[in-house]
Amino acid sequence: MIFPELFRMSICAAIVIGFVGINALFLVWLERKVSARIQLRHGPLYVGWQGTFQTLADAVKLLGKELVLPKQADKFLYLAAPLIVFTPALALFLVLPIGPGWIIQDLNIGMLLVFALANISFLGIFVAGWSSNNKYGVLGSMRAVAQNISYEIPLLLSVMGVILLAGTFKMTELISFQQQQGWFIWKQPLAFLIFFCSALAEANRAPFDIPEAESELVAGFHTEYSGMRFAMFFLGEYTAIFVSSAIAATLFWGGWLGPAFLPPAAWFFVKTYAIILAVIWVRWTFPRLRSDQLMAFCWKILTPAALVNLLVTAFLATWIN
Amino acid sequence: MTLENTHQWLLKEGEGIKVQERDYAKTGYHLEAAVSEEKILPAAHYFHDQKFFLECLTCVDYTNKPEDPHFIITYQFNRWEAVERVLLKLKVPKQINEAPSIASIIPAANWYEREVFDMYGVRFSGHPKLERLLLPLQSKIHPLLKSYTGTGDSDVRNSLELIESDQEVFDFNVPEEMKTSRKEYYLNLGPQHPSTHGVLRVLLHLDGEKIISGEPIIGYSHRAHEKMAEVHNYLQFWPNTGRLDYVGAMSYNFCYALAVEKAMGIVPSPRVEYIRVITTELNRISSHLLWLGTYLLDLGAFTPFFYAFDEREKTLDLLELCTGERLTYDYFRFGGVLNDVPQEMIDGVKKFIPEFRKRLRDYRTLITENIIFIKRTKGIGVLTLDAARDYGVTGPSLRACGIGYDLRRAEPYSIYQEFDFEIPTEREGDAYARYLVRMAEMEQSLRILEQAIARIPAGEYQSGKIPKAVPACEIYQTVESARGQFGIYLVSDGTQIPYRLKLRTPSFSNLNALGPMAKGHFVSDAVSILGSIDIVVPEIDR
Repeated sequence: MIFPELFRMSICAAIVIGFVGINALFLVWLERKVSARIQLRHGPLYVGWQGTFQTLADAVKLLGKELVLPKQADKFLYLAAPLIVFTPALALFLVLPIGPGWIIQDLNIGMLLVFALANISFLGIFVAGWSSNNKYGVLGSMRAVAQNISYEIPLLLSVMGVILLAGTFKMTELISFQQQQGWFIWKQPLAFLIFFCSALAEANRAPFDIPEAESELVAGFHTEYSGMRFAMFFLGEYTAIFVSSAIAATLFWGGWLGPAFLPPAAWFFVKTYAIILAVIWVRWTFPRLRSDQLMAFCWKILTPAALVNLLVTAFLATWIN
Repeated sequence: MTLENTHQWLLKEGEGIKVQERDYAKTGYHLEAAVSEEKILPAAHYFHDQKFFLECLTCVDYTNKPEDPHFIITYQFNRWEAVERVLLKLKVPKQINEAPSIASIIPAANWYEREVFDMYGVRFSGHPKLERLLLPLQSKIHPLLKSYTGTGDSDVRNSLELIESDQEVFDFNVPEEMKTSRKEYYLNLGPQHPSTHGVLRVLLHLDGEKIISGEPIIGYSHRAHEKMAEVHNYLQFWPNTGRLDYVGAMSYNFCYALAVEKAMGIVPSPRVEYIRVITTELNRISSHLLWLGTYLLDLGAFTPFFYAFDEREKTLDLLELCTGERLTYDYFRFGGVLNDVPQEMIDGVKKFIPEFRKRLRDYRTLITENIIFIKRTKGIGVLTLDAARDYGVTGPSLRACGIGYDLRRAEPYSIYQEFDFEIPTEREGDAYARYLVRMAEMEQSLRILEQAIARIPAGEYQSGKIPKAVPACEIYQTVESARGQFGIYLVSDGTQIPYRLKLRTPSFSNLNALGPMAKGHFVSDAVSILGSIDIVVPEIDR
């Protein structure tokens, strides 16, 4: 029995890896186009229609770049770090519900697995900065640790309200609950805002791109990385954006649910990319916060707000039942 | 009144100080005093107590005089409240080659004295860190000495070889206890760093991310403009004026034109004055826009950069119509300008003014009222009035502390007194106040442009033949550049080549205040503060 399952998983893994690559290429292109619109520019224009193949060309360029290994680096960790960042983001596809029946493994602990895996990426970021033995890198790592501790708590608390109402961690059940009772965005709007802010921090996106803050720390934790090793961080970042947006779409916006003129999987992607557009829009509008300000924001505003939200939800849930 | 007091005090000191009044209109100085070595420290104390600031400190080399080889060290003091420029001169005989340092009394003198030591080899006794400032630490030459003949000299090559062979140039003594410290460390911000706006190095002493002290280290783009001035004739120095502060080059053109015209007694035609004001104010706007874009970039916001550069492009297009250049302007001439202003440019400016007013409103909603921007700048890098005076800070950074010291008003030059405009000031002295001052200044520049465009008279854009030689004189001319007070101290010996041309650049003094401003803040704030004082490195290094 194990062999067909293994075969299925291998096929799925191949599809996911293919999708992650194409998705990253597409997202980079999208980001460049959208940011160009915001900034009175045109963005890439010459490689392919509207510069669609520009990112592919950039990827090829990155492949050809020299891989520099700093003399003072801790070699094993230095080489492992990009993988530690990238792999968990990839593994998250295991529980993403793309359409009815279109889920690789519908685990009982789907949501829990998401948080458990998402947290590992930050370890990779920490290891990257620390192992490259560069002061800017270490500063970036220190910031990543501080940031992770701050946003992880409101992120979990914001999702707890949803879990509490649906009474399950299982992805498909979360969606079928929304099918019967309406999308969670109407019941938990505050939770969605908190989730959105924390997810920005999780994906190291502006205004929370503090660990890499290029105007302060040159490139932060990945200062010493070049070529494909750097591209792995990039790939990891864009995959993380996709996954967190997909989770947000699933948790709050009904996942694959939607009017019948589009297939369910299409709704899933429409919602996910709409959230990604919002993420891009935020990035190109705001300046960067300082790391202590991010911590103050997470601890003094997001965490209490998430707690209040959870308490009110719990109270109402018990009262109504 | 204070001028009278100063005069009295200088007279009272009697022995060791010989004071004389100077014709302000002709020379730019009110008082001049020859001070002996013993009296220089009491004098520094007096001027410091009377709330003067050190405008400039430099040296003139007379060691080529066989009967009496000596240096003259000049100390120039001024006040914000009213222009009272006092020039102190200290004669240092060549064989003594040492002067008392006033750096412990007036911190601004620290760098100026190091520069004099670097360029002339004059030592300052009691200086806290008498090292080379602009040249590499191991170089063996003192380039501004008249005996130093410049290019092709083996000394230059030797010192370059030294730099290549000796890696210790980037080493500095890390204290023993620091090597084992688990918390404190040094971080080199620069010379290559995205946010130092050029090749500037800031040595940060950090505790975690907290700044214990910050020391700017300069000299990476030193090009010896002052030496170049001493080997070229007056006309040949024009291109150099555009290459000091390449972002706001027009003001530097302006100052050089005014200085030499003052020395030669040339009065340009009214049309020339208007053209100069129009181009300078346009250039001030473009300079402030470049600052705005890069400053927001330092804070991590990308989009304002493109908006600012979009508008800046328009000002550059307009300036290109009359100057033919887009960055390092070399447009002014003695008694005139290079080309007449075409009607196309006048129309362009008329169109630009309302468009830019609208854009300024956009900036307000995008940046000024943005909560993250306010959080990142309010209360960051507060410059106190005392520190500003001690370090000789001028320009928008000073006006953000509540002092309306703008040379266009304080010491009107050209035709600025004919225009109706305000000097924007703020009280807080933090990065946000500096931002607000510069934004308001763009508005005021638009007002000046509006009036100038409406009133520009017809006439000649150049005056007739100008003599090549400048009569013997010693003058100081100053203008308000986009960064602060730019001054030229010109000593002429009646020939076609300046005897000494000191360029007093604003960022040189403003950058000094970075250390005290950054103390106690975080690394992120160091970038924010550095951006908010708006430096241009080639102007500091000259």
